[in-house]
Amino acid sequence: MNSKESILSNIRKNSCADYEMPDIAVAAVRYDDSLQQFIDMTKAVGGNAHVVQVDEDINDLIRSYYPEAVNIVSNLPEVTIATGNPDVVAKPQDLDGTDVAVVRGEIGVAENGCVWIPQAVKEKAVYFIAEYLVILLSADKIVNNMHEAYDMLQFSDYGFGTFISGPSKTADIEQALVVGAQSACGVTVLILNHR
Amino acid sequence: MSTKHTKAASAFLLNKSRAQFLNQSIWYVREKRDKVAMQLAEWEELRELSSSIKCHTVTHLDTYLEQFASQAETNGVIVHWAKDANEHNKIVYDILQQHGAKKLVKSKSMLTEECHLNNYLINKGIDVVETDLGERILQLMQVAPSHIVMPAIHLKRQQVGKLFEDKLGSEPGNSDPTYLTRVARLHLRNEFMTADAGLTGANFGVAATGDVVVCTNEGNADMSTSLPPLHIVSMGIEKVIPDYRSLAVFTRLLARSATGQPSTTYTSHFRKARPGCEMHIVLVDNGRSDILANPQHWETLKCLRCGACMNTCPVYRRSGGYSYTYFIPGPIGINLGMLRSPRAYSDNVSACSLCCSCDNVCPAKINLSEQIYSWRQGLDAIHKADPMKKIISSGLKYLYGHPTLYYMGLKYAPLINRLPRNILYNRLNAWGKGRELPTFARKSFSEMWKKGIVR
Ligand code: SF4
Ligand code: SF4
Repeated sequence: MNSKESILSNIRKNSCADYEMPDIAVAAVRYDDSLQQFIDMTKAVGGNAHVVQVDEDINDLIRSYYPEAVNIVSNLPEVTIATGNPDVVAKPQDLDGTDVAVVRGEIGVAENGCVWIPQAVKEKAVYFIAEYLVILLSADKIVNNMHEAYDMLQFSDYGFGTFISGPSKTADIEQALVVGAQSACGVTVLILNHR
Repeated sequence: MSTKHTKAASAFLLNKSRAQFLNQSIWYVREKRDKVAMQLAEWEELRELSSSIKCHTVTHLDTYLEQFASQAETNGVIVHWAKDANEHNKIVYDILQQHGAKKLVKSKSMLTEECHLNNYLINKGIDVVETDLGERILQLMQVAPSHIVMPAIHLKRQQVGKLFEDKLGSEPGNSDPTYLTRVARLHLRNEFMTADAGLTGANFGVAATGDVVVCTNEGNADMSTSLPPLHIVSMGIEKVIPDYRSLAVFTRLLARSATGQPSTTYTSHFRKARPGCEMHIVLVDNGRSDILANPQHWETLKCLRCGACMNTCPVYRRSGGYSYTYFIPGPIGINLGMLRSPRAYSDNVSACSLCCSCDNVCPAKINLSEQIYSWRQGLDAIHKADPMKKIISSGLKYLYGHPTLYYMGLKYAPLINRLPRNILYNRLNAWGKGRELPTFARKSFSEMWKKGIVR
């Protein structure tokens, strides 16, 4: 018997109880103003969120948030300020030294400030290696809670996706919260198409 | 009447300021957990659901594991099965060897601690680098974690400053946490850039999709898997869950229970290898399928490894993780240690005052204290019973069997607040030694419940 068969047969032999799968219908939290809740939570987890007004240009906004940024990386056509494209790098290590990466988020979750980002670039390193991350998110894609988010979750063919809630952080030294552990030191969510 | 735990705890308590520091740091996390839990009206409903989903999955583990493995294989992931720690370590080493990998970056994984993977690989010449800040600190110090979520919680910033000065060349005398975190960031960035392989644990394996879900705050699991061409996942077989609807319940509970955050910063779903790269999953049993046969203790397999039971446990907070002899400390560790080997780890079952607080915070609703109590009853059989604890236990058994007396006792417990210290802290009261008793609530919970004060 190989290990797989022996593990599975031991499980079958040993299971001493039988429980039904429960019906997962949670009366989960909803917000009167889920956009405002999303903004508040994003700030609470150390990020920044801004509702883009009709007369504002995202490239100007990114520049004003990160005036010193030299290497700005994005494969989004509307990000004309980009100096590099993550889809054309030979290897992910080439993305080290990125000051700002601009990416698209597909779902915003009001209860915890999470943004779902299905991989849409050749090297997913771009989501984690940049000093600062800017996420573009459409206002109509903000949901109340994780149940709603998972109900509409889509993957891309790359086979990777991540919920990101604010910047990388740690409290491993004496429980002191430090932002900017191994990944992005800052996250700004630009909320688009708000009516 | 001393066990290894009580002796180690007494030694720990000799350094009063350190003991107080640990207790306060951990209690602070417990309070943050309470705050975020109370913000959700559905909190108890979520705990109940999480418990039932886990009960179902763990009692149908064969079905879900097969589904998970075949989904992952459809996604192009290579799945391995390991009966025990040794087989797991060998599989990981073989994969590394096939790729000629010399340097492995790792995100936090209690399973690889359980299997002693690091030593195994280091002895074979692999450069193993832990990348969670707390884990890296401990690896540089060559000591084990003292907590499963906050591994370096027992250390003071000066100790970390001195360590970094010696090992990473940081500024002498600078122990500012922000500065030290920056030093670690630079050091680890270099390790990520030059690694040949990345290894992560798994918080969840989703049977319906084959996704491996990994939750971190630092983003180190993502850095470990975005740069090197090889990703290995070490996953305990009990980590499999049915689908996304179940996952939604667990992601809402995990970070809130663990650290009082509404979510971890990163909740990453790994479904396929990067183009031109490889992803492997090693499914590890190592005694888990035997636990299933234990009618009193199989529910330990529901554990999400959130650490909430440790943060709330008065004994853990006052004795520290290193006082326990099993590598997982606290309430869940007492039980898992006994399941591993009652002979080797029975010292830990005394590390419990049966306050039941762990049961009340556990997001999987594991009956931790009841399980500890039942181990104690079984200790006689292996002649390890502690005569003093036996008296206390039989007293409690009597109380639990006599509900009126139990409630009477609780009703008069607030009187203890006014008892003179020399009665509370005399030599006969083993718990008074170095431990302040918790202040009993003026009204018991059931009293408040009946009066409608709490709902
Ligand atoms: S019941 Fe025991 S193990 Fe659980 S919190 Fe209380 S003292 Fe700790
Ligand atoms: S036993 Fe419960 S509280 Fe303790 S680590 Fe596991 S899930 Fe968390």
